[in-house]
Amino acid sequence: MTTMRSSRQSPGTRPLRGIALACALLAGCGSDGGSASSEPPKDTLGPKPDAPRVAAQTGAQRLSTLQYAASLRFVFGDDVVVPPALEPDAAQDGFVSVGSSYTTISPRGVEQYEKGSYDVATQVVTQEARRKASLPCTPSSIADETCFRSIAKVVGRRLFRRQLDETETSALVQVAQKAASALSDPLQGVTYELAALMQSPSFLFRVSLGEPDPAHPGKRRYTSSEMASRLSFFLWNGPPDDELLDAADLGALTTDAGLAQQAQRMLASPKARAGLRNFVSEWLDLGRLDTLSKDPMIFTSYTPDIGKYMREETLHVFERLVFDDEADYRGVFLSQKTWVNPKLAALYQIAAPNPDGFGEVTLPDDGPRRGLLGHAGILALYAHPVSSSATLRGKFVRATLLCGGIPPPPVNVNTALPEPSATAITLRERIKPHLDVAACAACHKRMDPIGLGLENFDGLGRYRVKESTAVIDPSGDLDGVPFADGKELGKVVSEHPDVLSCLTRKMYRYATGFAELPDEEATLTELTWELRAANARVKPLMLAMVMSSGFRLSGDPR
Amino acid sequence: MKTRLSRRTMLRGVLAGAAVSVGLPMFEAMLNDTGTALAGGAPLPKRFGIFFWGNGILPDRWVPAGTGPTWDPSPQLMPLSSMKKKISVVSGMKVYTGNTVPHGSGPVGMLSGAPFPKDDSNTFQLPSIDQVIANEIGDATRFRSLELGVQRSSSSLSYNGLHSTNPQEWSPRALFDRVFGGGFTAPGDTPKADPRLGLRRSVLDAISADAKRLEGKLGAADKARLDQHLTGIQKLESQLKKFEENPPTLAACKVPAEPADDYPDIDGRPQLATVSRMMSDILAMALACDQTRVFSMWFSTPVNNLLYPNAKAGHHQLTHDEPAEQPQVFDILSYVMTELNYLLTTLDGVKEGDTTLLDNSVVLATSDCSYGKAHSIEDYPILLAGSCGGTLKAGVHYRSPASENTSKVLLSLARAMGLSMSEYGLEGGHVTDSLSAIEV
Repeated sequence: MTTMRSSRQSPGTRPLRGIALACALLAGCGSDGGSASSEPPKDTLGPKPDAPRVAAQTGAQRLSTLQYAASLRFVFGDDVVVPPALEPDAAQDGFVSVGSSYTTISPRGVEQYEKGSYDVATQVVTQEARRKASLPCTPSSIADETCFRSIAKVVGRRLFRRQLDETETSALVQVAQKAASALSDPLQGVTYELAALMQSPSFLFRVSLGEPDPAHPGKRRYTSSEMASRLSFFLWNGPPDDELLDAADLGALTTDAGLAQQAQRMLASPKARAGLRNFVSEWLDLGRLDTLSKDPMIFTSYTPDIGKYMREETLHVFERLVFDDEADYRGVFLSQKTWVNPKLAALYQIAAPNPDGFGEVTLPDDGPRRGLLGHAGILALYAHPVSSSATLRGKFVRATLLCGGIPPPPVNVNTALPEPSATAITLRERIKPHLDVAACAACHKRMDPIGLGLENFDGLGRYRVKESTAVIDPSGDLDGVPFADGKELGKVVSEHPDVLSCLTRKMYRYATGFAELPDEEATLTELTWELRAANARVKPLMLAMVMSSGFRLSGDPR
Repeated sequence: MKTRLSRRTMLRGVLAGAAVSVGLPMFEAMLNDTGTALAGGAPLPKRFGIFFWGNGILPDRWVPAGTGPTWDPSPQLMPLSSMKKKISVVSGMKVYTGNTVPHGSGPVGMLSGAPFPKDDSNTFQLPSIDQVIANEIGDATRFRSLELGVQRSSSSLSYNGLHSTNPQEWSPRALFDRVFGGGFTAPGDTPKADPRLGLRRSVLDAISADAKRLEGKLGAADKARLDQHLTGIQKLESQLKKFEENPPTLAACKVPAEPADDYPDIDGRPQLATVSRMMSDILAMALACDQTRVFSMWFSTPVNNLLYPNAKAGHHQLTHDEPAEQPQVFDILSYVMTELNYLLTTLDGVKEGDTTLLDNSVVLATSDCSYGKAHSIEDYPILLAGSCGGTLKAGVHYRSPASENTSKVLLSLARAMGLSMSEYGLEGGHVTDSLSAIEV
């Protein structure tokens, strides 16, 4: 159902029944945050705002399918075959990481996790090298309680992301002994013991309960172990490594110095690149590129694998910007450099930098394509299977990049566009009623004039000058700032007053696993100040996020 | 429990006049003379299913002319005409749980009888009708319910409750392996004792204990989530027990043909008919072998933009952009109805005494809205196939004179399946009357 409801609805939205308009009356077409457009002008940073210490919402997260796979690879080796069919992720407020705070495990999901646990345990036990690398010992007999106990403690700590207590440990030893003796095979004992660990709710859920915060009487904070999980799933989208678990056991993650030290170490690790990629992928909804479907008769460059190349372009560009160049986030809208393979190069009508795979390329000075809004993945994702869409692209800029609220279209209205005709050839002409009819314009003026700036790119992202016989007019305006074409649109977006606060807001949701409540707005304002103070570099924002009260203070468990 | 009922023991039990639980499988010799019930009087098991497709219908070519038993299949129902005597069309009903989310408000109201939660989160408040029924009768069989997809999508609209959907199997191979793989014993084969089943249960016992201990420390919302997990663990335990104890003995039960490992798209178009037919064949045998009594088949998702054969655009886009009579949308609906017909014909081909599997089932076929172009939820598309063991009228067209509440159908279905419910749904979807016009 995620395709149907991507964001919270404005309470003012009500269905409009039986009206045969090509669009819709909408109340509540504003920003979806409390004070999103309150940034000072670019050159005046101003004093750091004083934020009260407010916790984000607190609750358990179910491991996402990627986090589940990353956890098993961490414990049992990078080449372990991870079960493909699992309880699917569900996004909430635009993020799987937020959905993880709400999803449960269905009876079918229990079945899938069970099957997966035996598939993985069997690999561990039967493949000698893997067994030696991932287990502390191999039981010498069906009665080798010491070894079964050691496996529970060592492997269990890495899977549960904390120390196991005695009740947990002895239950696992019992499972192992029972299986070993029933099947007369000590290794079978290990199989069932590992399977039990991998099916436990302590593995499948990241539970946070918090503890009283001695530094702030009356408030609660996350425990050192809970902080280890929060850090690693935010920064790495995977489980804590041994060094982080050790730091957690020493209580280091409840101190400013210990937390900052680990966060900096983690941001320097290659795993942080995977973490950032996951954030960008969830934020921009790039997962849908896996199933990108376009009519191959209309888009002759379309092949079923092109979506994943498009995603790689966007993820690589973000990764490079954040970790290699450590550059201003807003540069992503301006960059003349990008990352393509021969298929994308052909789509972009430029020479491929690397005949065998991806390579960096500088787009032509006089070319039409610049920055993120020139990425084929964005242009193709926010379009239809047979055509472009100014509305979908405009909504992407408005809601995803600038955090402006756009409610879903009302029901019971005819949303069909007029067919191309002699007097209305281009999309701009055909969607004119969106902006001429007041009921429609309330929302569409917040989307269409932005998206029309990208009309020089077809539904797959290929440059075009004409639509049918008519020359395309790619001009438009964003909140009163005019632009001539898509290239200029990128610059206007990069200078929009909400562009930095929106990055903060999206990342905060991703990091905390919950959409912010009104009393967290001050925390967001403070974090945006930190981002601006760091010249809009993303790594310092991530660090500030980790150090923020929303990340460290615990609320009452949901 | 390690005891296994042999065919002989079961016969003896019946002959001695002992009560036969509906949870036990049956075979021809156990039926009474007319094949309408088990010898001893217990009725044949009833099955419930959902068949769902996305993007609605074209109402002007959906609603048949004529009501009662004398109706003519409408242009869109033509593919089902050979099954007309076993299908009832219910038209003119309306979803009353609000219409705020295109393609979302229809299914939540139609399938659960309740509106979206007040906090606007993306989920059902009440279980979908299949799970309401599975909660009551699902424990009798190995799988409490089966969810299948034809479109490749892992989420279904089969909901256990808040934020808990049942993932669907979209690979015929995976469905086959799940039901008929891993030591499935065909009728007549001698089952082999497997100590692994008992060990898997002891692992589930251990993690149940984990879940219970954890639950005590959590807040209310997370406790409810963990409770779902715990329920799932218990269901799997009983599933394993059934697998141990309950080899199928029904006469019509046989292992279906093995599907291919994969059905890749051809020229960007999914092989929907091929997948749907493989799924239908496997499903029919899963029901015939009494492995489950509740299923849902999600032919396509709400808002799906699948490219159908010969269509010039995706389904959803066509519903909005195709002009005038929408001939391509019409063809897509005919395609979907043809595959529904295949499913129903297959179920009807499984004999159970002098009735068929379809006669002992009821399949609710519906969509995510009425008129796709307008996302309307008035005059909702509802087909009911099978007479549910003689409790529902088959072969009639009921045209509601006053836009009655679709929840009335849900109450009728629940009662037909043996649930004693006096009301159904929440708020606008709340009803205390069933749709007596379709009941026997």
